[in-house]
Amino acid sequence: MNTYYLYSILATAAIFTMLALSLNIITGYAGQAMMGIAAFFGIGAYTAAIITTNGGNFFLALAAGMLVSGAFGAVLGVISLRLQADFLAITTIGINFVMEALFNRMKITGGTLGLTISKPVIFGVKMGNKQFFFLAVIFIVILCLLLVKMRKSWFGMALASINNDSAAARSFGINVNKYQILAFTIGTAMAGLAGGIYAHRMGFISASDFAFVVSIQVVSMVVIGGLGTIRGPIFGALLITSLPEILRFAKDYRELVYGLLLVLMVRFMPQGLIGDDSPLWNALTGLWRKVFPKKKTRADLIVESVKGGEQA
Amino acid sequence: MKELMRIEGLKMYFGGLKAIDGFDLSIYEKETLGIIGPNGAGKTTLFNAICGVYTPTAGKVIFEGKEVQGTPAHEMAKKGIARTFQISKPLAGLTIFDNVVAAAGVHEYTGIASYFHKAKTKEVEDKVEQVIRRVGLESVANKKASDVSLGFLRRLEIARALVTEPKLIMLDEPCAGLSNFAINEITALVMQLKSEGQSIVLIEHNLPITMKVCDRITVLSYGKKIAEGTPEEVKNDKQVIEAYLGEEDD
Amino acid sequence: MFLQQLINALTIGSLYALTAMGATLIYGILGILDIANAGAYLVGAYVGWYIYYATGSIVLGFLGSILLVGLLGIFLQRTIYSPILAKPRTLSIIPLVAAVGLFTISSDAVRLICGPNSKTYDLKFPMEIIQVGKVTIQPAWLLIFALTAVLLAILWFILNKTKLGLAWRATAGDREIALICGVNTNNAMALSYILGYGFAAAAGIMTGILYNNITPALGEVPSYKMLAIIVLGGLGNPLGTVIAGLIIGIAEVFLSVYTKIPIPKDAIAFVVLIIMLLVKPEGIMGRRNKV
Repeated sequence: MNTYYLYSILATAAIFTMLALSLNIITGYAGQAMMGIAAFFGIGAYTAAIITTNGGNFFLALAAGMLVSGAFGAVLGVISLRLQADFLAITTIGINFVMEALFNRMKITGGTLGLTISKPVIFGVKMGNKQFFFLAVIFIVILCLLLVKMRKSWFGMALASINNDSAAARSFGINVNKYQILAFTIGTAMAGLAGGIYAHRMGFISASDFAFVVSIQVVSMVVIGGLGTIRGPIFGALLITSLPEILRFAKDYRELVYGLLLVLMVRFMPQGLIGDDSPLWNALTGLWRKVFPKKKTRADLIVESVKGGEQA
Repeated sequence: MKELMRIEGLKMYFGGLKAIDGFDLSIYEKETLGIIGPNGAGKTTLFNAICGVYTPTAGKVIFEGKEVQGTPAHEMAKKGIARTFQISKPLAGLTIFDNVVAAAGVHEYTGIASYFHKAKTKEVEDKVEQVIRRVGLESVANKKASDVSLGFLRRLEIARALVTEPKLIMLDEPCAGLSNFAINEITALVMQLKSEGQSIVLIEHNLPITMKVCDRITVLSYGKKIAEGTPEEVKNDKQVIEAYLGEEDD
Repeated sequence: MFLQQLINALTIGSLYALTAMGATLIYGILGILDIANAGAYLVGAYVGWYIYYATGSIVLGFLGSILLVGLLGIFLQRTIYSPILAKPRTLSIIPLVAAVGLFTISSDAVRLICGPNSKTYDLKFPMEIIQVGKVTIQPAWLLIFALTAVLLAILWFILNKTKLGLAWRATAGDREIALICGVNTNNAMALSYILGYGFAAAAGIMTGILYNNITPALGEVPSYKMLAIIVLGGLGNPLGTVIAGLIIGIAEVFLSVYTKIPIPKDAIAFVVLIIMLLVKPEGIMGRRNKV
C-alpha cells in the first residue's frame, strides 16, 4: 500500500472519528436519538467551502462552518424539546433528507454540480491527505481532552443524569431543556467543523456526500464502538472506515457483510464492542487491573468500611 | 410556629379531569405533615403541582413568603424543595454513590459554566459519604443503581433529596412495595429526620405509619381536602371513615 | 385535469398507506421503527414475481409472497428484535440500527441472488384502459384500490373481531397491563410481524405491477418515506396511517404538478411531517406514550 493511499484512508478515518465523537455527545452522553448528523456535517462543509471559494481564510472558514452548523443545531435542540424519542429520530431523518434536497437544489451550494474547492495553502504548504490527517488528529486530541474534562465536570454529570432519567434530573436542579439544547449545539458544531475539513480535503463536495446513509454510518460507528464512551466512537470510526479495505476479499459481498455485522453487533453486544460492560472491554480491563490495580474510589472505601455489610 | 409553605386554592385540571380542585394547606417549619387519601385522590398530582412538574391551573403556592407556583421543577429544587418519587427513578447506569453526587450538584448546574467545575471534589465526596451513611446505603455505595433492590432504591431517593439540603422534603410513598422489615427501617429514618428538625411532607398509603410519624394529617379525596388535624382527630372523622370505607384498600 | 390528478394521488396514497401499514402494526406493539419493513416490501415484490412466473397466477403470487414474507417476519421478530428489546435499558436507536442492518442485508441479498437488473411483471389485465370524459383510469389502479380495500378490511376484521386482534389491541394499549391480564403478548407480536411483513410484501408486488418494474433498489425510497407516514398517522395507529398515506400521496402529486417548490417529490413527505410536528407534535391521530 503506498503512502498516498494510506493517508487517504487515514484522513477519512480521522474526519469520521470527529463526526462519531460529535454524534456521541448528543446520543451517547445526552441520550437524544439523532439520526441526521450528516445534515450538519453538510452545513459545515458547504459554509466553509463557500467562504474559501470566495477568498476567505481557511481557518476562518472552519470556524464559520462550526458556528453556522451549531446555530442550526441549537434550533434543532429547541425542536427536540417538543418531541419524544422516536418522533425525534424520525424528524432528524427528515431533516437529513430535506437538507440533502436543498444542497442539491440551491444555487449557493452549486446545485447538482456541487462545489469545487481549491486546497488551502498553509505556511507555504499545499494541504494534502497527510496534512488534513494531522490537522484532524490535532482536533481529535483537543476534543478528547475536552471530553475527559467534561465527564468529570458538573456539565458531564448533568448530561449523565438526563440520559438516565430526565424527571429525576429535574428533581435535583438540572435544567434539562438548557442542557439538551447545549448538547445539540456542541455536537452539531463539532460535526460542522468536521464538515469544513472534509470539504477542503475532498476538493469537491455534492449533496450525496451528506445523505442519510452517511448519518447511518456514523450512528453505526458509535453504536458498534460503544455509546457514551470516548474510546468507543474512535474505535468504531476506525473499524467502519477501514471495513471496505478489510472486506476487500469479500468484494461483492461487502454490503451484505456490513449489514450482517450491524445486526449481529446490536443483537449480541448492544453495549458495543468495547463499550462499558461489554465482555471484551471487561476482559481487557480485567487483564489491565491484574498488572495495575484499580485506584479505589470513595464509594469502594465506604463499602469496605462496613464489614459483612448486607448484600444487594 | 413559622409557616414554611402555604397553598391557596390550588387547582390542577387535565382537560375535563379535575385532579385537584381547590386545595388549601399550610405547612409549618419542623413539622411532619401527612397527606393521605384513597387511591386516585390526587396525592401525587398534588406533589407534582407543588414541585413544578405541572403548572397549576389556578391557585398559589407560597414558599417562604414568595409565590412560586409554576416555577419549573429544577428551580424548585434550588429553592430548597426536594421530592422523592413514588416509582423510584434511579440513574440506573450510575453507581449509588454517583447518584447521590449528581443530586449534590443541585446549585452547580448553571449551564456552560458547569463545564469548568469539577464534580467530585473532596467537599462533595465528604458530603455524599455522610448522607450515604445516614440513610444506610454504605454496603451498596459502589454498586450500579440498576443492580440493587427496591429497598435500597427507596433509600437512594431519600438520600438524593437530603443531599440537596432542602428546607422542605416531600416524600411520595417511601414505603410502597417494601417488606415489613424494610418499612420499619424507612420509618425509623423518617423519624430520625424529624427529630433533627427537618420539615417533611409525607404521602403514605400505609395508615398506621402515617399516624405514627406525622404531627398533622390532611385527607384528600377526589381532589379536595375532606379533613385535617392531628392523627387522633383524623382517625375519628366521619367523612374520612366514609372515604376509606368506600373503597377497597389494597 | 384536477380529477385526473386526484385519482392519481389517491392511487399512490393507498399504496403508501399499505406500505406503511406494516411498520405501523410493528410500532404499535414493539415500539420500534422497523426500516427493515422496506426490505420485506422488496423481498415480497421479488418472491411474488418468481411465483407469478412459475405458476402464471398472480393470485398465487400475492398469497405465496404474503405468507412467505410474513413467516420471515416472525422469524426475524423471534431471533432478532424480541431478544434486543428484552435487554434492559435499550436506547431507541439500537433496534433501529438492527433494522438498518437487516434492510441492507435484504437489498444486497436480492441484488446478489436475483441480479442487479430490473424485472417486469407484464401483467395482462382482462380489461382496457377506462376513459370517462377526460379522465383515464388504468386497470392497475383499480386493482390497487380493490386490494387495498380488501387488505384493510381483513386487517380491520382481524383487529376488531378476533381474539388475536383483541390481544393485539390490548398489547398496543398497555403491554404491562395486557401481560398482567393474561394476554399472550407473544402472539400479538407475531401477529404484528406476519401482518406487517405480509402487507409490505403485497405493497411491493402492487408497486411492481403499477410501474411494471422491480429492481433491488425498490425498497430505498419506502424505507424512509414510510417512517414519515407512520409518524404523521400518530405512530402505531392503523387508521391514522391510511389517512396519512393518502395525505402524502395528494401532497406529492399536487405540489409537484401545481407548484414549483425546490424540494424533490420524495422529500415532500418529510416537509409535511416537519411542519406538522412543529404545529401538532403528537401526530394527526393523537399520541401514544412510548418512550
